[in-house]
Amino acid sequence: MENKSPLTEALFYILLSVRKPNHGYGIIQEVRELTQDRVILGPGTLYGAINSLLSKGWIRLYSEDTDSRKKKQYLITASGREAFKKEVRRLQELLDNAHFMEE
Amino acid sequence: MVKFKIYYDKDAEEDWLNQMCGQGYAVQSFFAGFYRFEKCEPFEYRYQIDLLNTSHGSYEEYCQFMEESGVTVVQRWFKWVFLRKPSSEGPFELYTDTTSLIEHYGNIKRFFTAAFIAEALCCLYELIAFVVLKNVILGCCFLLLLFLSGAILKNIWKCQWKIEQYKKEME
Repeated sequence: MENKSPLTEALFYILLSVRKPNHGYGIIQEVRELTQDRVILGPGTLYGAINSLLSKGWIRLYSEDTDSRKKKQYLITASGREAFKKEVRRLQELLDNAHFMEE
Repeated sequence: MVKFKIYYDKDAEEDWLNQMCGQGYAVQSFFAGFYRFEKCEPFEYRYQIDLLNTSHGSYEEYCQFMEESGVTVVQRWFKWVFLRKPSSEGPFELYTDTTSLIEHYGNIKRFFTAAFIAEALCCLYELIAFVVLKNVILGCCFLLLLFLSGAILKNIWKCQWKIEQYKKEME
């Protein structure tokens, strides 16, 4: 899956939060901590984002545990990592060029 | 306590439910315009209304996800769901970024567009029946359906307006 447009802030932080297996509520908490309460993901936003990431193949279900009481966990895939790195390169380029403003 | 109300605008409905909760009445169930309230502490809960998106997995998966995020699914009415979260557990907004808000209102707009087409066809059918049979009851049905179609159309415009506002925000 090719991504031409930049990642949204929500997608960027969700991908970051599933570098290790993580569940929905855990993702909300982690994004809150990482951004010092600046980004608080609404459950509707997160649910839609997780489904779109799953269908893109950027994340996958971590445990195929059939025990329904256990919270569903998600984990980033190789193509998810690739998309994330690509975005980091794009952001890095922006930052590298930003100093020209001060010249 | 039971109250009867008909809402087309889910944002207005949400505001009303939160206002009722502020007065100490928490909605417990909904059926065809009838809302059943039970006593609660003022502002005990924060309510949100969602429209299920069929491309986002099953209803069971949706419910499981919401419960795991600390949100209670109060009632499902066809594709609409009433959700709530105790106010003590922090703020509760279902959609928190422009991308997902645009998708949410797009989903609502599609829902009402389908409803409008169905309603408009019924309306046309009633009109033809009225003209042919000259029956007053059929005429009244036509007027009622015409009114409903108008209300739905207004809602579609409202969704479109919101989507355009959010798109401007993104630019």
